[in-house]
Order: sequence, then structure tokens, then C-alpha cells
Amino acid sequence: MITLLMEWKKIKRKKVGLTMCALMGIQFAWHFWAARNPSEKELLQGWLGNLQTQPLLCAIMMPTVMSVLASRLADIEHKGNTYKQLKTLRTAGTLYHVKVLCGFLFILAMTAANYLFLLALGYLHGYVGDPDPKAYLLSFALQSACCLSLYLLQLDLSLLFFNQMIPLVVGLCGSMLGVILMYLKTYSFLPWGGFLSSAIVMMDWNRDTKVVTYYYRDFSSIEFLALTMVAVWIIVFYTVGRILFTRKES
Amino acid sequence: MKTSYGKAVHAERLKLRRSPVWLAFIALPIISAFFGTCNYVLNIEILKKEWFSLWTQHSLFLCYFFMPALIGTYCSYLWRLEHTRHNWNSFLTSPLPLWALYFGKLTQAVCMTVLGNAWIFFLYYICGKIAGLASPFPKEAMSWFFFGTVGAVAICCVQLFFSLIIRSFAIPIGIAMAGGIFGLLITNKGWGLRYPYSLYSVGMRANNPNLEIDMSAHLVNSLTYFFLFTALSILWLRKHEISAN
Repeated sequence: MITLLMEWKKIKRKKVGLTMCALMGIQFAWHFWAARNPSEKELLQGWLGNLQTQPLLCAIMMPTVMSVLASRLADIEHKGNTYKQLKTLRTAGTLYHVKVLCGFLFILAMTAANYLFLLALGYLHGYVGDPDPKAYLLSFALQSACCLSLYLLQLDLSLLFFNQMIPLVVGLCGSMLGVILMYLKTYSFLPWGGFLSSAIVMMDWNRDTKVVTYYYRDFSSIEFLALTMVAVWIIVFYTVGRILFTRKES
Repeated sequence: MKTSYGKAVHAERLKLRRSPVWLAFIALPIISAFFGTCNYVLNIEILKKEWFSLWTQHSLFLCYFFMPALIGTYCSYLWRLEHTRHNWNSFLTSPLPLWALYFGKLTQAVCMTVLGNAWIFFLYYICGKIAGLASPFPKEAMSWFFFGTVGAVAICCVQLFFSLIIRSFAIPIGIAMAGGIFGLLITNKGWGLRYPYSLYSVGMRANNPNLEIDMSAHLVNSLTYFFLFTALSILWLRKHEISAN
């Protein structure tokens, strides 16, 4: 707890929260723009449509957003050259835990804000019916897990490399892969494709009638396997990151 | 006898020696070209305009979202060298005028952007040949390259300014990424030529190779952003008390 408080004090006035809010603002603007002037059909399927759009937008933005978040939390130590001092106060493992926990709290806050905005948008436009709470909660949990897996990868890179360009470029390449994978498949085993695997609503576009129909996804065995890969990536990145950080020379 | 500007450019080149910052400009276009070409080959029955169709697949996401962020990364790296440790002291006390120091950095950013852009077009040509396109390489590509590069210079100036005033390495990259995504909405509204982050994608004719753009407006707006953000950066260096870390 003391170490977590210390972490919060370190990022005080660093405007990490403000940066994340600004990046979330872009997502909100996108949702707002995409959902403007809904047709009757769109109003009928609005709540489902939200759950289909959200993971796709996350696949583009979140790898970069997570790299920015991880870099902000790790760069403080690089710039201040504080590792030696910190490791005399707390064990390296505890320091790593706290960085993970601090980032995870940001992720939860951002994801919650995201879903609250989607709900507000739905009520503002007057989508027909009420949102399915179970589906929204499941989607919220899955998106948080995907963000956590990417955050852990980025945190590992940001802590290991002094040159923050490397993790940031990995984040950008991840965003690029995410957006390309979106066009190729509805699932992926790569960490950046987790958002696609975890989408619980799919879209069917009829080429002749040009009508879009949303439906709850019926996970096939391979899609379910791709979904479980999110948990596998979390475990892998956490374990590898903790070992490498503990062994890292200050 | 080197001029102040020449000395500043040389100093910047020395600072960047043996640092793998150029790798990003190589890697990201390769990903885009590889998947773009695969998508083109898989949908060749629908995409019938050969080189033009291939260009849409190569350029769409790269130009809108990722090139501004990539330029942002490079600009952040250029200023990070000064933001770290006590480097501001030696930077600001070097016997060169501030405008020369700034243009030394801008020159590096522009050089890397031009090379990155040339690499995108080289990949486009190679991928077209691999995909078996029989028609000649489009002459319009010269115009795409020129206006794309001019737009990229405007982004360089904007990003150099943000990376100068914000000490964090990551935040200006987030701004560039957000700027690129927001640019898609702005371009969709038809205001792409007025927004700095859209000037690159509009100049490159991303997603629409037949797009007729107002060339003079593109040049004037790019130059406006160039002068505006260059002036702001030099003014910031001159007026603002920058403390070493």
C-alpha cells in the first residue's frame, strides 16, 4: 500500500490522467460522429451496435494508448535514474507489482468511462429498449483484460529499454497490426488481436440489400481458443516482465 | 567554412549516430505494404484499377493514422536528447543562433520523413511488380509524393513544437496519433486542407488516387503551418526559461 501511494505521488502533476482523458476524448468523438443521425434500423440495434464498434476502435487505438501509459509510468524512473535508490527501499518484485497495479487502475477507469459514455450515447439517441447489462459487463471485463495484456507488454518494454522510442514504435506497429487484422479475421492469437477475439457482437452485412444486422457471437472452438489467449498473454507478459525486471541491473 | 546552420545539422547528425531511430520508418510501411498487397491480391475481382487500387490498400491506414504518429515519434526523440539530464545547458549555450539549432532538428526530421516517404513508394512499386501488375507505374505518383512530403513537413513543424514544450516523450506521440484519427473525421467533412494532420493524407491521395486537390491551397496551408510553428518554436526557445533536468 505504501509503495502504491509512493507511485501515485511520483505521477502527481505529471498529468497522466489528463493525457488518458484526452486520448479517450478522441474515442468518444469517434463514437459520437459514427452514431450521428441514426436511422430507425440503427435505433433498433443501437445497443448491440455499440458492442460491435467498441472493440474495433480499441484495436486501432489501445496499443498506442497503452504504450503511452506504460511509457509515462516507466520513464519517470529512467529520467530520474531512480532504480538503484528504489531497490534499496523495496524489492524489485514489489516495484513491478505496483507499476502493474497503478496501470491497471488507469485501465479500469478508462474502460469504465468508455462504457458509461456508450450508455449515455445510447440514451441520448434514444436507442430502442434497454442495454443488456450482462453483455455490457462481459464486454467491459474482456476489454479491460485485453488492455491489461497490452499494458503488461508495453510496461515490460518501457522498463527494460532506456530509449522509449522502442516501446512506442512497438505500440504503433501493434495498432497497425490491429487495424489490419480487423480486415482479415474476426479473431487472432496475437496480443494486438485480442480485441477482435473478445468482440461478443458480430455484424452481418447483406451485400444485396445493404442492410446491417448485429447478433451475439456464437464462439467456435478456435475463436474460444483465441479468446483464452488473452489470459495466456497476461500470464506470459507478467511472468517474463517480473523476472526480467527483478534481474535487471540498475 | 561551415555556416551556423551547417554546424547545427552536423551536430544533430552526430547525436543520432548509431541510434536505430530509422528502424521505425522501415518497419511500419513494410507491415502496411505486406498486408495491403495481400488484401489486394485476395480481392482482385473487386479491385480492378490495378496500381490505383493497390495504392488505396497501401496508403489508407498508414497515411491517416500512423505516419503522423511516426513523425511524432521521431520529433519526440530529437528533443528527448535535450530533455534528458543536463543537455539543455549545453544545447542553449552552444555558440550557434537559436534559429540554426532549431533548423538543425527540423532538417533531420524532414530528411527522415522524405526517406520514409520514398521507402513507401519503393515498396509500392515492388509490391505492384510482385502482384503482377502489367500496366505502367502511374505518373500521378510524383504528385502524391511531392504533396505528401510537403504535408509531412507541416506535421514535422507541429510535432517539433509539441515535443519542445512537452517534456514527456510519449505525450506528443499520443497527440500525433489522436491528431491523425481526428484528421479522418475532418477530411470526411471536407476540411482536410485546413488541418495540419490531414495535409499529409490528402497530399498522398490516401484511399482516393483520383482525388483532385486544390494544389495551391495545399501549398499555402502547409507553408502557413511551417512558418507558424517554426516561429512559435524559436520564440519558445528564446523567451521561455528551459531548465535542465
